[in-house]
Amino acid sequence: MNGSLRQSMAWLHTWSGLLLGWLLVAVFVTGTSAYYREEISLWMEPELHQSVRSDDTVDLAWQTLGRIAADARSWDISLPDARNPAVQLRWQPAGEEQPRQGGGRNRGEQVWMDAGSGEVLTPRETRGGHFLYRFHFELYGVPRLWARWLICIATMFMLVAIISGVITHKKLFKDFFTFRPGKGQRSWLDAHNASAVLALPFHFMITYSGLLLFMVMLMPWGIDAAYDGDRRAFFDEAFPRSTETPGPAGGPADMVAIGPLAAATAARFERPVSRIEVQHPNRENARIRISVEQDVTISGRRRGGSPTQVFQGSSGGLLETIEPREAPAPLMGKVYNVMTNLHLVRFADPVVRLLFFFSGLAGSAMVATGMLLWVSKRTQQLRRQQPGAALKLVNGLNMASITGLLAAIGAYFAANRLLPPALAERSSWEIRVFFLVWLASLVHGLLRPHRRGWIEQLAVITVLWLALPFVDMATTNSHLFSAAAWRLGALAGFDLICLLLGALWGYTLWRVAKPKQDKRKPARAREPALAEGNA
Amino acid sequence: MTVLLALALGYTGLTCLALGMKRHHQELLGRKPTEARLRLFKAAGWLLILATTAACLMLWPLGLALSMVPILVTLVGLPLIFLLPYRPALARHLAWALPLVAGGLAVGGLG
Repeated sequence: MNGSLRQSMAWLHTWSGLLLGWLLVAVFVTGTSAYYREEISLWMEPELHQSVRSDDTVDLAWQTLGRIAADARSWDISLPDARNPAVQLRWQPAGEEQPRQGGGRNRGEQVWMDAGSGEVLTPRETRGGHFLYRFHFELYGVPRLWARWLICIATMFMLVAIISGVITHKKLFKDFFTFRPGKGQRSWLDAHNASAVLALPFHFMITYSGLLLFMVMLMPWGIDAAYDGDRRAFFDEAFPRSTETPGPAGGPADMVAIGPLAAATAARFERPVSRIEVQHPNRENARIRISVEQDVTISGRRRGGSPTQVFQGSSGGLLETIEPREAPAPLMGKVYNVMTNLHLVRFADPVVRLLFFFSGLAGSAMVATGMLLWVSKRTQQLRRQQPGAALKLVNGLNMASITGLLAAIGAYFAANRLLPPALAERSSWEIRVFFLVWLASLVHGLLRPHRRGWIEQLAVITVLWLALPFVDMATTNSHLFSAAAWRLGALAGFDLICLLLGALWGYTLWRVAKPKQDKRKPARAREPALAEGNA
Repeated sequence: MTVLLALALGYTGLTCLALGMKRHHQELLGRKPTEARLRLFKAAGWLLILATTAACLMLWPLGLALSMVPILVTLVGLPLIFLLPYRPALARHLAWALPLVAGGLAVGGLG
């Protein structure tokens, strides 16, 4: 009974892993990049890099909005923070609010402003890190709901693969320090086991919390039953948000200077001001909300609760002080918050973010080694025969999903620097470059012989990723040897991570290209318990 | 308390756990272990993992700290797994050197 259970689990593990592995690698790799999506977006908008916050920044933002959006219904100023050097100015134009396509609130107009000079900046058009972030749960060009369902099904299979994998490798916990190099299939198995078992808590957490984020879509029946199918009512109760609807605008009136108000709020909470919102600017009933940054805790909610002071716009009188607090949540709400915050890494601590990033890389490696193991095992079973069409197909898809995806991401970054800034539909072209390179790698992978194909693709990604910092140097003023890159940290970090990953691909290339010493040594059946049922 | 120290403690803990297994003990130290020694290393390993947990609790609030323990252990475990076959001597020496260096940095206020 035990034997047959393990055999069926091995079958399940092999095939669910293989069929969804191609998708899961892409989800893992783009999802890992999403830990740094703000940093990637920043890198991809070099026009914003020279902005530096000064004491005048708040006044400059105030003047700029007064100039370009004097009769707007509301203003919203996001001041620079550790992850973004420029000022974001948003406003709702006068007139009736136009509902956004597909529901939700219209976000109105927005521009970027240089925090030091007050100049309006026009960054090149790009989707930045958000393209990769969106891709990891919605893919691209597929109807959003279908894509989300597909990803969720793949994620559920990932949970299945994790559990069936643990059952399959009975000796897993005994052997998990074991890596036997230079033994083909056995080495891939060891690498797969090591990255899977050690990181099991991380994999389980990231998969489970990923599903949790989509729980309403996946399992709506409980909510439908309890709320009579009124999902809006559930959201309002589970995730309350303050709904403050401003009344109609009053007559025109001058507003007080913003500088002293912002300074007062900063002094009151002993933190720099992060956001200023104004209802009915330049009107009698103008209201100014000034907020400072909020500590994001792991069990807290994303929005709301940041320390804020509200002022009357015409007199500057203080109307209300909102102290920092954590929104009260029931226990299950807290558990949900912890799980989803762990997935999204909302709490901004650079060290934690880096540790999650490396864990994500380990997760990607785990899925990738599993897929390579599948091919390795079947290649060894061939014994000098020509590989069949199925094996060639799997190998080609493996190549496209691993090295091909890395080539596509590298090309996406390079396209951001190399496409002309004024190109029409520029952000779409960046994405087209991404998919064209990915497609090219698939065609290449299917046509070229096994080992040659891998060597060529590894060579391409090595050169591409190592070249990125140099392309940056040739096309921007915020490259690795500039003050701006180190002042912002994220920019220097981006280039350094490109170099690091490029070196890693180069090392892999060197290992793969090196002629093998014990090529025909059969590496099978020495430890049958471990090899049995795998891959 | 620094993240580096927490990582170093986790690494030493895992190395001790490896030394608590017969095969890895032989690979790392080159001689057959007695049962008592294996038990000693296992206990030391788990104690160090506990110390890593304590370090995490000092660094982060409860929920995050408990989530970070497995993540830290993973991140130091992966290099250990690849050091064991290629550079066993280095793996062994890192186990005592890393906590010393990280501890020194923490005391010096640099880490």
